[in-house]
Amino acid sequence: MDSDKLKRLSQLLDDAIQQLADSREFAKITKLQRLLDIARRVLLQEGGCALLEARAQRMEEAGVFDGSDWAQPQTLVPSLTTYSLKSPDAPTVVIEAISELRLLAIALGEYIHPHMSAEQAHHYLTQVLAINLELLFGAPSEAEREQQGRLALATRSFYRHLAERIGYEHIIDQLIEEIWRILQQRPIQVDSVKQMVTQIAVCQTNPEIDLGVSGQGADRLISSLYGPTQACREDPGIAVYRERLEAMDGGALQYEATGFARAMHDTGLVSPYHPILLRHLLEQGDYLLSEALGLSSTGRDCLLCYGDLVRATIDQAIFPETAQGIYGLALMLERGILYQPALAPALWRQLALPVSPYCQERLTLIFGSQPAPSAWLMQGVLCMLGQPLGVGQGNNPTCQSARALSMWAYSDPDYLLQMVVWAARDDEIIIHFEGQPISSRESEGGVASDIPMDLDPVSLLVVPHLDRIYAEMGRRCIDREGDPHRWVNPEFHGWWSGRGFRINVDVATGQLWELDDFLRHFYASYHPYYNGNQPLIHPQPAGIAVTDSAARFVGWHAITILRVTLDPKEVMRVYFFNPNNDSGQDWGDDVLVSTAGKGERFGEASLPFEQFASRLYIFHFDPLEPGELARVSEDELQRVKDRIVKSWGADRLPADELQASHF
Amino acid sequence: MANRGEQNVNPEKGYIALLGWSLGAIEAADKFDRRYVVVAPDWAEDYCKEHDIPYISWNFERLNDRSMEIAQTLKDMGVDVAIPLFEETVEWAGAINSVLLDNPRLFGQAMLLRDKALMKRRAQLGGIRVGIFEEAHDKEDVVRFLKRVNQTLLKLDGDPNDPIHLKAFDKAGCLGHRVIRTPDEVDVIPDEEFPVLMESHLDGWEFAVEAWIHNGKIRFLNLSEYVTLGYSVFVPATPELEKYREQITKQIEKLIKTFDIEFGFVHPEYFVTSDGEMYFGEVAYRPPGFKVFELLERAYGFNAYQGMILSFDPKTTEEEITNFFPKEVVDAKGHAGCFGVYPRRRVVSKLEIPEETEEHPYFDFHELTPPLEETVTKRTAFGTHWGLIYFFGDDPYTMRDLLKHQEDLDFYV
Repeated sequence: MDSDKLKRLSQLLDDAIQQLADSREFAKITKLQRLLDIARRVLLQEGGCALLEARAQRMEEAGVFDGSDWAQPQTLVPSLTTYSLKSPDAPTVVIEAISELRLLAIALGEYIHPHMSAEQAHHYLTQVLAINLELLFGAPSEAEREQQGRLALATRSFYRHLAERIGYEHIIDQLIEEIWRILQQRPIQVDSVKQMVTQIAVCQTNPEIDLGVSGQGADRLISSLYGPTQACREDPGIAVYRERLEAMDGGALQYEATGFARAMHDTGLVSPYHPILLRHLLEQGDYLLSEALGLSSTGRDCLLCYGDLVRATIDQAIFPETAQGIYGLALMLERGILYQPALAPALWRQLALPVSPYCQERLTLIFGSQPAPSAWLMQGVLCMLGQPLGVGQGNNPTCQSARALSMWAYSDPDYLLQMVVWAARDDEIIIHFEGQPISSRESEGGVASDIPMDLDPVSLLVVPHLDRIYAEMGRRCIDREGDPHRWVNPEFHGWWSGRGFRINVDVATGQLWELDDFLRHFYASYHPYYNGNQPLIHPQPAGIAVTDSAARFVGWHAITILRVTLDPKEVMRVYFFNPNNDSGQDWGDDVLVSTAGKGERFGEASLPFEQFASRLYIFHFDPLEPGELARVSEDELQRVKDRIVKSWGADRLPADELQASHF
Repeated sequence: MANRGEQNVNPEKGYIALLGWSLGAIEAADKFDRRYVVVAPDWAEDYCKEHDIPYISWNFERLNDRSMEIAQTLKDMGVDVAIPLFEETVEWAGAINSVLLDNPRLFGQAMLLRDKALMKRRAQLGGIRVGIFEEAHDKEDVVRFLKRVNQTLLKLDGDPNDPIHLKAFDKAGCLGHRVIRTPDEVDVIPDEEFPVLMESHLDGWEFAVEAWIHNGKIRFLNLSEYVTLGYSVFVPATPELEKYREQITKQIEKLIKTFDIEFGFVHPEYFVTSDGEMYFGEVAYRPPGFKVFELLERAYGFNAYQGMILSFDPKTTEEEITNFFPKEVVDAKGHAGCFGVYPRRRVVSKLEIPEETEEHPYFDFHELTPPLEETVTKRTAFGTHWGLIYFFGDDPYTMRDLLKHQEDLDFYV
């Protein structure tokens, strides 16, 4: 009976797909409703998902996604699926489901998609599954039932199908692997990671879910958040834990302190119990405080020198909600930057800073009303100073601003603190461009059309200003010939950005330009074998042509070159900072950006020098540095050029070089 | 993607203009083998540009001094004939075609087809049976007519009145259609609805006909069976209605003669009384509402708009049009019907398709949307449903009963 029904529905569906495919593009909209309604019923049937998966390619080709965001699967954002799948609007749910079944077909190699590789699709689906784990294991909530009716069950069976096709254990294990991979980059923002860890914990404690042998690697993650020490092992709640602390002697407190410190430095995640201990220890000696922060001798020295500042900071900014600030504080002390004369007074100023009503409102809107906005901001400051390479741009096109913040936190922290003051207290930042002041308040729109929301507290307040100033600097270069980054980058980022500028793309035509000289010059400036073994002194802004895993051009992107040196296997690598939230990317043609295990420090990305050079399109240098083009061997140069031609340079060959490259 | 393969266009065939905006009609024309142009208000311009749809901007208000302008423009372009897609463009098509085809009578004919009172008189003159009708200019006229009709029916005081029907002169279908039983009900009619046409109620079976006409001959004749007027329709009809086909064909031939229709498409409504007598209700010179064209395509597989293009185009050949249309009833692959949903409750919060409807093997799909407002306005006239549900199946009786049954179900709760 049921199979009869599915058969009938499949005929209707095929008919509707054909109708849509036959339809003129302007009239497709009139045929879509029928298709989506039939697809909805297919989804409700046992075996319906497989049926839709098998037709995914035909549906896409017929134009189901035309004119919607789903038409460009490479741009879809996994976190948005949570909303569309829970939407009360049935067509939205159905089209999201069809889109993901299409990605499943792509991931499993059943459908070769022109814009998305199997790996990309697989990666995307793993994230989607991770974010929506409760759809997989939980029953629909009352709200969902109320809003979606029977469809709430369909999204669940659809999720099960997705999970079964990819493999349950695979998901949990891959999810855990994914979490570790992200944590190894030590991002400042860990909310989504915490959410995923929580989901795994929920699944593990649910007796109805059999995870088999999978999920073993999650213990450290879960315990670091919910029970890192003996006295909070069973997640007793903050009040109980506070009581237990009252009854502890020095030895027991020491035991707690090292437990928290180990968990924090292992994972980069801070348990909400940790602040309770830290606040408790404020009345104890420096030794226990240092133990609880897990400091080495450098950090401990710094703590001893600036004990009052550290205690005042903890008192004002460290609460269970702002626990991550502890990690920032510990790493800041380890960096020794407090010994720069301006920094301690600047932090005192920060502690006393009156935050403008507008900024208070924004902080409260994003982070909630507990604790006070100034505490959230201080937590943000600690994290940024402690983890300068953990800055992320969120889902916003503001890579330049994120890069600038990271660069200042890294090599000019006192300037960063000045920016924070201007933004948070005055709601205005002024940066000079070639002697002319540019005010963020007077400048019109920036690169981002909306005010970004998904950022850390410092970025949240400062980025909108920086973004407008950056865009204004660009506007002031409109009449100039060539790429505006030549003038904007040094003025925007700092005096250490080289005034010399080299680009390998002709701005007017988009064609590759003076490639050989560009590469030789880059080697001469950055490669220790060709620049007199000079390590890079300051981080330098650079431009990358980002490619996807199929080596197709995606877009131009701003990064920072941090170091160039030999890795543990004696390979010359470029270590760089990518303001994109996850630096571990596959750029195609075996160019895999590494984030751990190749000598990277937390937050660094790295590539072998040649591979990096093959994606570089802009770099800065000091024009006064005596230099000549490096005598790079023809072989090596050719390898780099081959990689360019095979990827983003494919359709950028100037006419006269076209022949030369056809060898 | 290039929109239209010019190679599809046959220069021997006519060049047609579509009056009014209908994506279904445009797509049908676009896929067909004739040149076409869409004549529509200026809000359609960007869309047409974006999608390469041949387009001329024109705002169809009342006919005026500038009306000849559009006729001349189309003539200069070499357009052969204009096809009205909506009630409001019928008189424009008449005016334009009288120029394009050099036949002034077409304009007068269009005016007849646009005014329900004139239309009935003309039908009466042609020897077609119609009910009692009159124009009303105010509420008093309505009360007087209601009384007179019921006197004529020899009703005594206290007997329940036979209802009368009020319709706007120049609106399509059920828009502005009211049923009046008592003088009290007259009070709720807003003054701005006058003047209206009043008709006696015909106790009979109401149905609609769609007829494609070329060279004065009927080329395809469909009977649309209303299960309940304003709620549901399906094609082809049950054998009970189809048994009148021959009689109905005679009526349509009479209509063609009376209104002097040489080509095009008509959509009249009739009542058949229990003794088999046919009463003419009204006729429209444009596609019917309630997606009957879509239903026909589902049932027979031919595109009704393309059928319309053939019937209007003076360059259509006898052979072409004969081959285009299938044989009525016998060539249908099944019966296609649709049901217009009205909320039954006064307060609704969400759309919920009854499981029995959705699980029925005849259920095809629905185009209902979630409610925008929670309170449902009380229905005073036949009006706009909230969306349609489509069914398709083999048996006409199952279809009829299924459609009828939908009236007892809640789609909005």
